[in-house]
Amino acid sequence: MIIQIIISGIIMGLIYGLVATGLTLTWGVLDIINFTHGEYLMISMYVSFWLYSLMNIDPLLSLPIVIIVMFIIGYLTYSIVVKNVINAPALSALLATFGLSLVFRNMAQFLWTPNARFITNSVLSGKKISIGSIIIGYPQLAAAIGSLVVIYAIYYFIEKTKVGKSIQATALDKNTAKLMGINTERVFGLTFAISGAAAGIAGGLLSTFYPVYPESGILYALIGFVIVALGGFGNIKGALYGGLIIGLSEAIGGYYLGTQFKYAIIFLIYLIVIQIKPKGLFGW
Amino acid sequence: MKRKKWLSLLSLMMVIALMITGCTTAEPVASEEPVVEEEIVVETVKIGAIFPLTGGAAATGVKLKYAVETAQEIINGEYPEIAFPMAENAGLENLDNAAIEFIFGDHQANPEIAKSETERLIQNEGVVGLVGCYHSSSTKPASATSERYMIPFVAGSSSSSALTERGLNYFVRIAPHDGMETEFFFEYLKNLNENYDADVKTVATVYIDNEYGVHANMMVDKWLEEVYGEEGFERILDVKYPSDASNVDTEVLKIKEAAPDIIFHASYINDMTMFANAYQLYEVQPKVVISYCGGFQDQQFLINLEDAANYYSGSNQTIPAIIAANEALSKANEIYKAKSGVDFDGPALEDFASAMVIAEAINMAGSTDGDAIMEVLKSEEFKAPYFATGKIKFGEDGQNEFSASAMTQIIGGEYQNVWPGEDTTSDPVVAFPDWSTR
Repeated sequence: MIIQIIISGIIMGLIYGLVATGLTLTWGVLDIINFTHGEYLMISMYVSFWLYSLMNIDPLLSLPIVIIVMFIIGYLTYSIVVKNVINAPALSALLATFGLSLVFRNMAQFLWTPNARFITNSVLSGKKISIGSIIIGYPQLAAAIGSLVVIYAIYYFIEKTKVGKSIQATALDKNTAKLMGINTERVFGLTFAISGAAAGIAGGLLSTFYPVYPESGILYALIGFVIVALGGFGNIKGALYGGLIIGLSEAIGGYYLGTQFKYAIIFLIYLIVIQIKPKGLFGW
Repeated sequence: MKRKKWLSLLSLMMVIALMITGCTTAEPVASEEPVVEEEIVVETVKIGAIFPLTGGAAATGVKLKYAVETAQEIINGEYPEIAFPMAENAGLENLDNAAIEFIFGDHQANPEIAKSETERLIQNEGVVGLVGCYHSSSTKPASATSERYMIPFVAGSSSSSALTERGLNYFVRIAPHDGMETEFFFEYLKNLNENYDADVKTVATVYIDNEYGVHANMMVDKWLEEVYGEEGFERILDVKYPSDASNVDTEVLKIKEAAPDIIFHASYINDMTMFANAYQLYEVQPKVVISYCGGFQDQQFLINLEDAANYYSGSNQTIPAIIAANEALSKANEIYKAKSGVDFDGPALEDFASAMVIAEAINMAGSTDGDAIMEVLKSEEFKAPYFATGKIKFGEDGQNEFSASAMTQIIGGEYQNVWPGEDTTSDPVVAFPDWSTR
């Protein structure tokens, strides 16, 4: 049973890691806590659901559409809302994204009702791998593998490409980056767009096994915040390892200490880590 | 100059803060001044209705709102074809045919907000009665607040038995409480063992970490200790899960390891559906899964899970087959369905009943005075043709003495009434078929 618990923890950890990756980018580069991140997840789940429900496009096949939609929504969030408050006191940006998250959530309830919806007949639904007593669902497996691939792709993009290096430079020192000829406005917009796209992929993959409803992104985003603080702000590797630590703690801790404590365990770990390393495990 | 502006602003804020504090802490005080009787023509009687209209339980809350709106439409309109009390004539006859208006509050599944919404409805809106709140955890502070203001509170679907154990004078409840439901579950299980050779003994309780779930679990303890433990039932596992869960894998794997014959679920629709999906994924194979009054009863459970919803069971005030057999209820259901898109389910019918009963009590009292309304609520027997029992009578503690559910099970993609009595629509299916064959 413990192997099954560990596998379940790793799967959830990878998904958490992808959610946190988008969040850590905006937090690390723009120094902004983006409360809309959970709603990006929710909107992408709805996009997947409606493409499946109205046009019969499987969530796996609709992923490119979801990525484009969320890339645009991420960019628009920056250019319409965040851009105007980026130089204002930190509380302004925080309240702006918080307000936007409420708008998105209430819009979703107004447009699509609060009913939870499930995608029950995707190509992955109901399929699973059984190895002895270990069972892994295809939707969960696809979400875990997809998350790992996307986290690596974003990491590669940030670390190895010229645009990625300009994002890193802007994160380190915005003014110096400007002096070096980097268009920091564009970098900020791109960062938000990538963050939205990352949440979009996570949402698209989650929609194959998690209920789609207006509040569906909140808990994931909350866990994402903890992971970012745990792994280190702006650190993608930190988001991945932080996600795995949280996923495993939730599963193993919940199993042995009581399922009612599984989220309390996460926050306890977070509190302990920030006492020892205030900038997170991989922060600098 | 700038400093002066800030000081002015600060003073203004302090005045506003004092005014707000003054508003929120005001207690109802009996006036010593002699009351001058004036004849006031009441045009609209306002009643508060508090439900989770946003947040994680909004899907259910919005349906309950539609149920209350259905009652309002029937009371305020003329529906002689619906043989319910208050349906034939428009408005409250004894109050010059005054219309009823339900003013809604949203508690977002948060007890603190339930309390403040109750205060808002009483103080700002001037409601003379209250219904709600679905979540027992919200009904508790809301009804405690209404008690302070001596405003009658009729709870529809809140099930925690603790609600009617507090000795409140202005609180009554329509639905059976979780103590009654738990006894009903065990009697049903005995029936399965005696008449269907089910051989079910071991019980796991799976419950959400709030008033509703924790109290339901306590009732299982109580009944096992007092009665059913001696009859061979044994609890082998209890799984309490957080009220918001990103996944329920750990919970389900614990259940799989314990392999109980019976699972009692005290859950809501979203988590119940996640559990059902995880049972299928991890091939958890109980013989019987019975739900308290949340989750399974919502028809969205069947819509979302399709065939995988088969064989789950739970107590229920109504199902489509029962509605179809009751002409008046069918007509009321048409009004409800036009709003909600689905048929009445158990909790929706209970909250519909709460709205009908408080309106009838106000009408019988011929007054909007809280004491007069409570006098009627506590002394009268109300006709309730929409329920199988046909009537509602509140006992000393405020619990409806005629609340009774049917055991229902999803069989062949439809809710069936499987026990007790002669009105059953199907025999129960005892064991979940092997998942590999489904």
